[in-house]
Amino acid sequence: MKTVVEAKQIKKVYGSKGNVFSALEDIDLTVMEGEFVGIMGPSGAGKTTLLNILATIDEPTSGDIVIDGINVTKMTEEQLSAFRRDKLGFLFQDYHLLDTLTVEENVILPLALAKMNVKELERRVDEVADTFGIRDILKKYPYQISGGQKQRTAASRAIISNPSLILADEPTGALDSKSATDLLECLKDLNEHDKATILMVTHDAYAASYCNRVLFIKDGNIFTELVKGERSRKAFFNKVLDVLSALGGGAHDVI
Amino acid sequence: MTLFSLAKKNIKGNFNHYFVYFVTLVFSMVIYYTFAALQHSENIQESIELSDTMRFMFGVSSVILILFVAVFVLYSNSFFTRKRKKEVGLYAILGLRKKTIAKMLFYENLMMGIIALVIGIILGTLLSKLFAMILVKLMGSTTEVDFGISAMAIIQTVIVFMVIILFTSVQGYRLIYRFKLIELFHAEKKGEPIPKVSPISAVIGVVLLVGSYWLILRPLPDDWTTEYLLRNDGVAFLALVIGTHLFFRSVTVYLLKLSQRNKSRYYRGTKLIETSQLLYRIRGNARTFTVIALLSAATISFFGATYGGYYSNEKSAKEVVPFSYSFLSKGPEFDSQVENIIEADDQHPIQAQLEIPVIQIEGTLSFQLDYDINPVKLISASTFNQAAKALNRDETVSLTGDEAAVIQPRFTEYTEATFKGESVTLQLDRGSRQLRLDHMVEGNVLPFDYPDFYVVVSHDVFAEIARQEAPLTYNVYEVENETTAQATSEKVNKLVGNDFQVSSSFYTEYKKGKEGNALTLFIYGFLGLVFLAATGSIIYFKQLTEANEATGHYEILRKIGVSKRDIRRSVKKQSLFVFGLPLTVGILHSCVILYFISNFISDLIGVNLMVPILTAIAVFIIIYTVYYAWTVNTYNRIVNR
Repeated sequence: MKTVVEAKQIKKVYGSKGNVFSALEDIDLTVMEGEFVGIMGPSGAGKTTLLNILATIDEPTSGDIVIDGINVTKMTEEQLSAFRRDKLGFLFQDYHLLDTLTVEENVILPLALAKMNVKELERRVDEVADTFGIRDILKKYPYQISGGQKQRTAASRAIISNPSLILADEPTGALDSKSATDLLECLKDLNEHDKATILMVTHDAYAASYCNRVLFIKDGNIFTELVKGERSRKAFFNKVLDVLSALGGGAHDVI
Repeated sequence: MTLFSLAKKNIKGNFNHYFVYFVTLVFSMVIYYTFAALQHSENIQESIELSDTMRFMFGVSSVILILFVAVFVLYSNSFFTRKRKKEVGLYAILGLRKKTIAKMLFYENLMMGIIALVIGIILGTLLSKLFAMILVKLMGSTTEVDFGISAMAIIQTVIVFMVIILFTSVQGYRLIYRFKLIELFHAEKKGEPIPKVSPISAVIGVVLLVGSYWLILRPLPDDWTTEYLLRNDGVAFLALVIGTHLFFRSVTVYLLKLSQRNKSRYYRGTKLIETSQLLYRIRGNARTFTVIALLSAATISFFGATYGGYYSNEKSAKEVVPFSYSFLSKGPEFDSQVENIIEADDQHPIQAQLEIPVIQIEGTLSFQLDYDINPVKLISASTFNQAAKALNRDETVSLTGDEAAVIQPRFTEYTEATFKGESVTLQLDRGSRQLRLDHMVEGNVLPFDYPDFYVVVSHDVFAEIARQEAPLTYNVYEVENETTAQATSEKVNKLVGNDFQVSSSFYTEYKKGKEGNALTLFIYGFLGLVFLAATGSIIYFKQLTEANEATGHYEILRKIGVSKRDIRRSVKKQSLFVFGLPLTVGILHSCVILYFISNFISDLIGVNLMVPILTAIAVFIIIYTVYYAWTVNTYNRIVNR
């Protein structure tokens, strides 16, 4: 099986001399194709920093990151933009939709930026519209639809360019439990049927229980790792809760 | 921390935003100061012919300037205050009383105004000398400008601007009281709907614009009256204003929406983002765009027309006073006295010298003409031809028997068709004499004197009538380099008095015209610059506010893979649209208006307006380009951190 992400000895230090804060100490991470990996940890543990670095939005202080066989730490800003556009899909807590564009336009944005031809582009929209059930709202504007619909729109945008890796930052954070479950089911489907590789940062043990594997981070280090294996989702959920209480600090925002 | 130091910190912190406003404010102060200084400068007034006019014109234009600046300052201020709603809300939440917040804003505004005023006056005293030199140069005077610091101008500038600044400060103070705390936190509205376009209003907009252009451009009927003009162009003006507004409000929206239909172009690169952003904002900008387009149209056309007048001054002076010197003969002794003066001037040797006998006589036309013709002035064809030759003109007349030719009365637009086949009946002592008006010639040979109704008659007829009505004799001289004959002209003017409504010497008329045109040119030029600077700065604010609201957007775009360079390019395109659209409309309007003006104002008939128009347009484009570059830069700094 192919390795999608290979990160070695990633360090991230904020601030300059005298006032240094180390957000990531020394992180190694490997994600294989078709994995659905969760990253958990208490606030301030460095989850989002890690995700941003993997997303090439932020740079590590040291360390190497290879995504889909390409070393991204050596790329220029221009190359990185093209790389993000072609290889990565994003899902954020606050959706990150452009309110001047319709749902449809938001979804095709990555393809339009890549200057794909219109026929192919419309075929793809047609495909993803069903995957995330947004066909009815394609012509609407973000301010006219609900949070769940917005997040499904964002998810459609994330997968439309068939990215090698989908990065999700607290995607269920702003959703009610019904919408959250819908979204997670969709992501699971995508992972199981289309072999999409997903890396998701979350606070929420319930969301984490949808993953195949969960990494726990504490104080910028990997604390432990849980693999779902043959367990049921319910059992895995309980396991995650156990680790979280052992981890401390983050327990209060589990449920 | 005192309120003052908080206000100081706020100015420092927000200086980036205030900078362009500040520069514009200082600029308008400098111009105001210059106007005031020129108005009060005795030194300059002594050196020119039109000193009274000058004082008056600078007085009026500084009032216009100040009204405009007041509106600009008020607008900008309400803009700033609105932009800072959130900040004000935060202060309120932190427990500052409204009164205290209001006081703080008041101090802020006052402090900035005073700093601007100090800089404005310092720069004003430095630059007004330069500007005065430009004016003097334009007027063609040779005097050295001794133009020191004008206490009067400083006092006037301080008073006027302090009033404006205090007024706006109070306005800012009051604005706080009108806010409700809850509103302060919702200052930036979310989810504003995309404007719906009604094809009807787009169509009406186009129809109004086309209609007004048509009304303005269609030729005037021969028998036009002031009433007709007021009606026709009043309607045209109204249609132009409303049409322009609808153009920005609906037509552009419609066109942008249309461009979205072409999917293969629309879904390509950042086009998608730009179009939707523009579409989203254009409604809110429609009114500003309208004002800017109309203001630039007015400025360009007035400037163009004045420049045209300045440009063609020599030609029009030559029409009004054809010969270098013309005066009524008052006996041989007087005549030779004047001639001695003219001959004494070595710099301006005489090229031609002529006596022009003119008979003044009552007459009636065979048709109704709305021009007072009495007394009719008769010139003999042979004298007319001699004079025309002396003036290097090509047009001559050849008349036989009772044929006569009207010289086109100056400042009118009669054509040969007006007189063809008609006749004039002259009241002689012994009965009347009828002459056929077969021709019309352009170009009189004597200075203008109302009523300017000259009829050229054949040599024989002239001799015949002269036996009954004694002619007056005018002596005329044409000299070399007449545009510089200042000293001799002054002497001649003094000696001969007022034979005509205009001056007896070409130089005086030429110089007056040049000074008058230079003055208007100078004033329009600088007023136009202030208008331009103010409108440019308003677009700048608008774009910046937009940039601040759109930071989120651009962050998203960067995350999903748009490079900084592409964002920069996209910002450039949008700003180009925002600056270019009103300017283009303004330029189009001004071309139409100028066409109208050049046809209507007799001074400008036949003047080639190409150079002045292109100059005015070029200046506009250059200044807007500076603001454009400024905007793109700041916009980029905000969204492309």
